[in-house]
Amino acid sequence: MTGQFPQLIVAPIILPLIVGALLLFFDDRERRLKTSLAILSVVAQLAIGLTLLVGVHGSDDATALVYLLGNWPAPIAINLIADRLSSIMLVLGSLLAIPALVFATARWDKAGPHFHSMFQFMLVGINGAFLTGDLFNLFVFFEVMLAASYGLVLHGSGPARVKAGLHYIAINLAASLVFLIGIAMVFGATGSLNMAEISMRAAELEGFATPGLHVGLSMLGLAFLVKAAMWPLGNWLVPAYSASAGPVAAIMAILSKVGIYALIRLSLLVPAEGEVFGSLVIFIGGAATLVFASIGLLATQSIRTATAYLVMVSSGTILATLGLSEPASTTGALYYLVTSTLATGALFLLAELLERDQDPLSAMLFVTMEAFGETSQFDTAEEEIGRPMPQAAAILGAGFGILAMVLIGLPPLAGFLAKFAILHSVIGPGAQAMSEAVTMRLGLAALLIFSGLTALIALSRAGIRTFWAPVEPFTPRVSIVEVAPVLFLLGVIVLLSVYAGPAVDLMAATANDLHIPNGYLDAVLGAERVPPYAGGEE
Amino acid sequence: MWSSEWLILLVGLPFLGSLLTALLPSHSRSAANWLAGAMALACFGIAISAYSSVTDGMVVRHQVEWVPHLGLSLTLRLDGFAWMFSMLITGIGALVILYARYYMSPKDPVVRFYALLLAFMGAMQGLVVSGNIILLAVFWELTSIFSFLLIGYWHHNQAARDGARMALTITGAGGLCLLAGMVLLGQIVGSYDLDVVLQSGDLIRASDLYLPTLLLILAGALTKSAQFPFHFWLPNAMAAPTPVSAYLHSATMVKAGVFLLTRFWPVLSGTDAWFFIVGFAGLSTLLIGAYFAIFQHDLKGLLAYSTISHLGLVTTLLSLGSPLAAVAAIFHMVNHATFKASLFMAAGIIDHEAGTRDMRRLSGLFSFLPITATLAMVASAAMAGVPLLNGFLSKEMFFAETLEQHRASVLDTVTPYVATIAAAFAVTYSIRLIHTVFFGPRASDLPKVPHEPPRWMRLPIELLVLACLVVGTIPGLSIGSYLDTAVVSVLGDATPVYSLSIWHGFNLPLAMSIVALLGGIVLYMALKSYLDWCEEGPPIFRRLKGQRIFERILVAVSWRWARVAERFLGTRRLQPQLRLIVVAAILAGVWAMWGARHLAPQLTISGVDPVLAMMWLVGGGCAVAAAYQAKFHRLAALIFLGVAGLVTCITFVWLSAPDLGVTQLLVEIVTTVLILLGLRWLPKRDDQIERHGFWVRLRRGRDFFIAVIAGAGMALLAYYMMMTPLPPSVGDYYLQHAYSEGGGTNVVNVILVDFRGFDTLGEIVVLAVVALTVFALLRRFRPAEDNSELPYQQREQNEYDSIQRDREVGETLKDYLLVPSVIMRWMFAAITLLAAYLFLRGHDLPGGGFAAGVAMAIGFLLQYLAGGTRWVEERLRIRPVQWIGFGLLAATATGLGSLTVGYPFLTSYFQYTEVPFIGGVPTASALFFDLGVFSLVVGATVLMLVAIAHQSLRAPKARPDRAVAERAAVEQGES
Repeated sequence: MTGQFPQLIVAPIILPLIVGALLLFFDDRERRLKTSLAILSVVAQLAIGLTLLVGVHGSDDATALVYLLGNWPAPIAINLIADRLSSIMLVLGSLLAIPALVFATARWDKAGPHFHSMFQFMLVGINGAFLTGDLFNLFVFFEVMLAASYGLVLHGSGPARVKAGLHYIAINLAASLVFLIGIAMVFGATGSLNMAEISMRAAELEGFATPGLHVGLSMLGLAFLVKAAMWPLGNWLVPAYSASAGPVAAIMAILSKVGIYALIRLSLLVPAEGEVFGSLVIFIGGAATLVFASIGLLATQSIRTATAYLVMVSSGTILATLGLSEPASTTGALYYLVTSTLATGALFLLAELLERDQDPLSAMLFVTMEAFGETSQFDTAEEEIGRPMPQAAAILGAGFGILAMVLIGLPPLAGFLAKFAILHSVIGPGAQAMSEAVTMRLGLAALLIFSGLTALIALSRAGIRTFWAPVEPFTPRVSIVEVAPVLFLLGVIVLLSVYAGPAVDLMAATANDLHIPNGYLDAVLGAERVPPYAGGEE
Repeated sequence: MWSSEWLILLVGLPFLGSLLTALLPSHSRSAANWLAGAMALACFGIAISAYSSVTDGMVVRHQVEWVPHLGLSLTLRLDGFAWMFSMLITGIGALVILYARYYMSPKDPVVRFYALLLAFMGAMQGLVVSGNIILLAVFWELTSIFSFLLIGYWHHNQAARDGARMALTITGAGGLCLLAGMVLLGQIVGSYDLDVVLQSGDLIRASDLYLPTLLLILAGALTKSAQFPFHFWLPNAMAAPTPVSAYLHSATMVKAGVFLLTRFWPVLSGTDAWFFIVGFAGLSTLLIGAYFAIFQHDLKGLLAYSTISHLGLVTTLLSLGSPLAAVAAIFHMVNHATFKASLFMAAGIIDHEAGTRDMRRLSGLFSFLPITATLAMVASAAMAGVPLLNGFLSKEMFFAETLEQHRASVLDTVTPYVATIAAAFAVTYSIRLIHTVFFGPRASDLPKVPHEPPRWMRLPIELLVLACLVVGTIPGLSIGSYLDTAVVSVLGDATPVYSLSIWHGFNLPLAMSIVALLGGIVLYMALKSYLDWCEEGPPIFRRLKGQRIFERILVAVSWRWARVAERFLGTRRLQPQLRLIVVAAILAGVWAMWGARHLAPQLTISGVDPVLAMMWLVGGGCAVAAAYQAKFHRLAALIFLGVAGLVTCITFVWLSAPDLGVTQLLVEIVTTVLILLGLRWLPKRDDQIERHGFWVRLRRGRDFFIAVIAGAGMALLAYYMMMTPLPPSVGDYYLQHAYSEGGGTNVVNVILVDFRGFDTLGEIVVLAVVALTVFALLRRFRPAEDNSELPYQQREQNEYDSIQRDREVGETLKDYLLVPSVIMRWMFAAITLLAAYLFLRGHDLPGGGFAAGVAMAIGFLLQYLAGGTRWVEERLRIRPVQWIGFGLLAATATGLGSLTVGYPFLTSYFQYTEVPFIGGVPTASALFFDLGVFSLVVGATVLMLVAIAHQSLRAPKARPDRAVAERAAVEQGES
């Protein structure tokens, strides 16, 4: 199917671009039209992503579909590549975009101008970053994505948001500068921007080109690690994410994963990985991130901030697992990436519903009471009659509970399976060489348990405070448009759990592609252009 | 033969029932009860029917794949031991549901209660029949979760919330450890299949990973079964409704820990580590639990500590490592489940009828509740280990086992003494329970006058107590064969010969029983009066409450320390974060270069052009000055920055890159002017900033140092890179093919619009988004208060006007730059022409859509500068957003054009078009693309200009309470 319609590869970039541009012509008052166009666009993107995924995963011969822009020959043209990893990321992005967008139509899209265009442009950047096979083009799409995210973080204004947003902008600009320096060094050393060609040339460099390439790659790595919010470079994440509007934070849950995506892509493609991308650095950095984020999670009161820390936990877990550099652990990391991204996205939406009416003081009070041990005794007269919960609260409570379980890693849903997949590959029967790097393995396993425990403590505290505390009856005002997106994401998570078998198989195949990238390289370097049109040129 | 598919029903039915119940309306009490009861009975029936398939070590297996890649399958596996537990789970479950029908208040919305209870039943059932050890961990955690929800069922009570959270924290943490332990076990064995694991005992015990595996699994088991030092969650869990306590916290869930220990007993036990860890935990729990139980005033508290103690007994038995002890352990699990469940139910009845569970207030209830009292007395006697009841039999077996020598050690030596003391304590608290509650003077100050409960509420207790009696009197006939089935399935060939008879003759265990019985009675007599008035909790340890310690530690670690650590390890300030990035970049560079210095080209200074060098000195100096002044004098910093930019432009021209030079120059102009316009609205300079303090100098010095290192490093890298011969690169291709295939002689432009047009498309999106962001941000922006007044130049001018007799106030301002502004207005046409020129020649000569767009924007900019915002907008209606939209669409549409003839996106096409009077003009499709770029650049720049310009119209509105107003605006979602 994708063979017949090669344009599908470029469609995830062009479609939101056109829709975003078109929406600029309509006044914000024509909401219905704008909303339906925007939603149509994201749904179509999901369909395209799924088609691509089926195209690359289903067929035996093509592990990567290549698209040569401008019909220039293979290593020259900017190329787009749909392989398993990029298709998975595309699908993940649109799975998050649909609910975020629908959620935003309840109120947030009215809080400032051009929300829908910004949102579409952000998807242009995200999808482009996942698809491109060209280093500079990757930078461009990073910029598209980040520029749009600047606008979206600031969307809705307010002092807190502006402050966090401007910090976010400044830090990302600095990281982008590092990114650019890295590209310049890589280009200077290899004379190419095509990632596949770079990896082919890397082995045959002479003189200063080799260290030059290494410097370039480590700059790139640094830039990606800033975006992935590795400690201590990731301090920007929590203020920015927790200050953003709910749906914005939800879609941004995938933004830090774009950094990880780029890191995976490049580190596994470039043969010099061992020296430059330094698995050990990534492992230690990931572990430190995991520890820091877990501590931060404990130290926070609001669910929204907690969710931001959970995004960091997720980054840390993935980085530390990738640090092992084995196909089996990469499999686990990828499955974890998908589930944790969906779950944090959903929790951002839910947090918005739970906390927008809440008095920030009550949270403080709760912890203080706990600190002084103000617990009543057994025999004080207590009413032993249950209280019915309002239906909205019950649904939100169940949703929160399930998401908390997923993020803590409690069974039986995908979050548990993901953590188990990592453990399985790190210290279980899936570990290919258990005797190697034992400290790393056991350390990672211990950290996974530790982070699960901290999440358990923090989220149960938050959940009890929100849903069980008796101070005042919790009656959230929510509309179906806001609940449905959360339920949608929960549904996806449930599907991912039920069909975990095929899902993990897909991740395993993806990890295999990444660790043995021959299929990718052959596809990219051997891509054929469409034969010139007879008489077209003079 | 019993079909293995029934196993799915056995586990699945409770969950299905839970789901169905949850869908009922919240007050459909009776329906929920019947549904739950029916489900439990159905499962009970299934369990009974399975018996013939699990005798003599037979196993029923049913496997459904789940995640084959990870070795995780839904394997259900029923053997004799699991069967025995299934009977307890479903049987007692059914009784508890019947009991709850009368226990729960008619006003209680019980639907949620039954749904949770059924779900728990499913989880517990799943746990015992899991044939995959990961699946076992799954169900294990599920029982923790449902236990949490059930303890917190009355969540409006503080005690319920605290108890629930503590139980979840401890058992959940244990479960996480268990999972890791199971994965390690899988690593050792190479499979998660329970049957495979059970056959690999020697392999496991010999493995290097045995100890960590054991510790992790024990962490799971000991937390779940409330063993010391994790025991304290269980008494707090008594805040749950009594049916929950009876079911989860005596009969089933807390047994999961010892179930697990028994399940893995054949492969994990028999080592020193096992003996000492499990033995120590079990023995101390046995003693502490029994001791604490004596001093509880709450009936359920007493039962809770007694449960802890009995679980300690089972754990101790399992620690010994002898098959006979394992038999005793299994036997005691069943016995304890029966008598303790019935006691909890009886306690619930007393609470229900009398309105209190406080033993200091309860007295003489026998006359009110004779039948219940009798039942409770029999069950308590079983708990105390009185002969002719089931508790006696397993306790005798326990005594016999403690006397055996297992591993020469202090622990082994003290075991029989501890066992006897603990048994005496058990007698004491059992007597206390009976004596205080049912005998003595009739209580008169009870909240309610007690009556016998409804017949059906008592039935569950009657059945359970009957079981205690039957097993206690005719053990061989009643439970013998079933126990044997369970034991064989665990021990297999190692099953020892054992006797269940009541009378073994006069021997040491009997003597110990008698000592314990008498000692317990004596102890009770001695303590009786003390217990009537003392505070809750045992002497000495009263102040040492596990719960309080736990809460304190949790709050300290998870809140106070965490907050301190978070503040220490993280920062929310911008400067440290930027500094970190720069330092990290330096480190990354150094690290990547490490050991490769010898490959770097020689650093030589030759062929320096003195003019260029001078210029660079000026430019560099200005850049440093800009950084130096940025915080203190923004205008000066901006001017310095402008100079640095100009030097860059000149350098481009100098090094033969005219296209870059032109574009850079235009961009420099526009950005500098825009920032200049924006400076007006920044807060005024803060003269209070400290510039000369020691710490300030140190900080600035440090930052300067870092900056110099980074800059010098960058320069060095650039030098090295430029001195390294460039490998064959795409640049060569571009140079060769720009004209032949791109149709343009300006290679830079051909790259921008053709070779790498896709990049340009992305970049113009960036520009569009940035413009929209600036617009959105500034639209809401209200200038700082200190900017609301007129600038002092204007004030001076106005003052001058007011002094002069012939001038109106504001006249000087009106005439300000009168001549230049006229010229600027007239420049518009010229600039437009320039833009068109730049645009059209772009494909072959320096210029192009971007440069043209910026030039055009400068035309608009000049109009705003010359005439002011109002003047321009009265005459000229610019719609920058539409320009942006058009630009994006035009560029994209050009790219899409090639799709229609079957070529990839952005494939270009060019030809010579005949234009009248001019002749053949090269026309590339890229021209339309460039038109899009042009339109977008104009739109984006003007949009930012407009956003800044409109500040001047809004400035007087600055309000002191703007933060509040803004928040309100966001909430209302103003459009």
